[in-house]
Amino acid sequence: MRRPRPRARLIALFAAAVVTLAGCGATGAEQAAADPDPADWPAVLAAARGQTLDWYMFTGVEEINTVVADYVAPRLADEFGVTLNVVPVADTADAVNKVLAERQAGRTGSGTVDAIWINGENFATGKQADLWYCGYPAALPNAQFVDLDDPAVASDFGVPVQGCEAAWQQASSALIYDSAQLGESDVASLVALSGWARSNPGRFAYPAPPDFTGSMVVRTFLYDTAGDPSLLAGPFDEARFLPLADRLWPRLNALEASLWRGGATYPTSQEAVEQLYATGEIAAFYTYGPGTIARKVDDGVFPASTRATVPSIGNIGNVSFLAIPGDSPDKAAALVLANLLQDPQTQLRFYADAGIYPVIDLDHTPQDVQQRFAAVPVRPATLSIAALTVDVLPELDTGYVAAVEAGWTANVLQR
Amino acid sequence: MTERPCADNAVRTALSAHDPSWRGAARVPRGLRIALLLAPALTVVVVLFGGGLAQALAQSLGYQPFLPARPLGLDAYRALWADPAVRASVGLTLRIAVLATAAAAVLGVGAALLVRSLGRSRTAFAALLQVTLPLPHIVAALAMVLLLAQSGALSRVATAAGFVDAPAAFPALTQDGFGWGIIASYVWKEAPFVGVVVLAVLSSGVAELEDAARALGAGAWQRFRHVVAPVIAPAVGATSVLVFAFTVGSYEVPFLLGRPFPATLPVVAYQRFRDPDLAARAPAMAIAVVTAVLVGLCALAYLALADRLRGVRVGEVAR
Repeated sequence: MRRPRPRARLIALFAAAVVTLAGCGATGAEQAAADPDPADWPAVLAAARGQTLDWYMFTGVEEINTVVADYVAPRLADEFGVTLNVVPVADTADAVNKVLAERQAGRTGSGTVDAIWINGENFATGKQADLWYCGYPAALPNAQFVDLDDPAVASDFGVPVQGCEAAWQQASSALIYDSAQLGESDVASLVALSGWARSNPGRFAYPAPPDFTGSMVVRTFLYDTAGDPSLLAGPFDEARFLPLADRLWPRLNALEASLWRGGATYPTSQEAVEQLYATGEIAAFYTYGPGTIARKVDDGVFPASTRATVPSIGNIGNVSFLAIPGDSPDKAAALVLANLLQDPQTQLRFYADAGIYPVIDLDHTPQDVQQRFAAVPVRPATLSIAALTVDVLPELDTGYVAAVEAGWTANVLQR
Repeated sequence: MTERPCADNAVRTALSAHDPSWRGAARVPRGLRIALLLAPALTVVVVLFGGGLAQALAQSLGYQPFLPARPLGLDAYRALWADPAVRASVGLTLRIAVLATAAAAVLGVGAALLVRSLGRSRTAFAALLQVTLPLPHIVAALAMVLLLAQSGALSRVATAAGFVDAPAAFPALTQDGFGWGIIASYVWKEAPFVGVVVLAVLSSGVAELEDAARALGAGAWQRFRHVVAPVIAPAVGATSVLVFAFTVGSYEVPFLLGRPFPATLPVVAYQRFRDPDLAARAPAMAIAVVTAVLVGLCALAYLALADRLRGVRVGEVAR
């Protein structure tokens, strides 16, 4: 028999390898099971058992991480047989980019992201590219405690939710300040705060948008410039935005000289801002997580004279959601997580331990649950649920958010 | 050349393991053998790097499979120069790369010459040079934050010693407009790298050449100019190009120590990449491609330079 030439053999070998690899890819795609039917909850629970859930979440809030690790993960494992794997992300956009890249790489139905803590622009990005699994929030058993018709839950920064994400926490912003350096009159309004900053330059800071918190601070100034929140309600309206922006940018530029480092540059993250407050470089900052401040005071990170307040214009508040990528192979486990997060016991635990305000409507919960929420003590550095929600301003439409971030970069940062 | 038989054996073993009846591996042509041996490394480079680069190029031209199809084009590249963030970025990126490279080269060569001149403690100091090599750049950057920030160690020491009134009065060395913190971080990492390479070149028989030059009456400067410099020039050139290319393309150090604006090219590319609007993907990738081309030109310049320097060195020695 004639011996095959080495080159021919080699080609055969490579061809075999390529076919094998291609085969692997094909089986991966076929493994994607049919999506679970959330209306058939026992079937969801059965499918979830044994699954490992990769939850991509922002892990910048230590208190939330602790509740997830000490309460949510054990309950998932013990009651539902789901292994929780928290994947930390510094910015939710990174997780969305991963889902997008995997879809692009052809991992349809075999993605590595099972759930994302999300809202706003990032949810809109996923909707733009049709990344989400939809149609479950109303079918979750614990959805009975959530007011799904509440505009804050039914739409996310102006983007209709349409059953593509499930609410799990409420985040209302607040101004945090050191009462040893600012009086109550200094924080009564944004005008008063700006006046105080002018006479105490370098002691107020906000992170550069598009940072999530920095963007909120600029939008709070936008609301304050408009005066009447209803002017900014509804979808993005350029004709309404531009005249307001023409007044907003000069106002922020005038404030700039009174900011940290004279506004020559801005902190790059909210963590950096809180670090500045902890080291005493600044005396006031905005946050989306006012419930977490008390713990930092207890730990001695923040001064004992730290207080929270809502200036006269009100405070921007939003709802955080859980989105499930359409390519997740563990959707049943993700549904179980979405449901568990809306459980009143879980909500109570987040409120008591991490200062996360509940997304469930307490009026829909049993009497004893309401009493236990009321029994959680309100500390000097925190605001009660009532104080935090009385003047709450809705998040603006994502069109406004994008315009504010681009406009701030061009007219304030790069000026 | 001692690896040769070993490599042959490896190929023969690999091929005969696949098919024991085939014993003609020794007759594999030389070119194919080299290609085979390089295949694993080349596959990694071509698939991971080439694939990523091709994706970046496609997306920079507007290829976005999830959005409604749009004609491909160079719009993103045309728009780059109009973008103030990019315009401000080019100068900053080049300034940081040039200064960091120059400082690393000078300090690295100085350190190598110094260590070489040491007596018994030479080994210890040579080892000291290598300490920073395995540390990731992100560690260097965080160390610079702890050291140089206005709430950092230097600032506190300066305050305690009475040089400045308050930590905030200490000059801003991180997130500063010039980029001192970024440059410091790169120099701290790269000067020892240059030093280690130069030291290795210097220990390969240069001392004998120098002794010969001294015997012929050459002074210290003449020995450096005509013996040491030609020997180390290719190494300094090579490491400098590597350092320059790295500092142009690196992300984490300028992200941690720099400002949101102006930022270096990789940081601007990443800012665009993270824009929630998927339409911003094309400019992000265009910046990345431009950066890659810039680094590629560096590599070409290095190859040309290396040839010329080698020629110079041979000429010098012959003379």
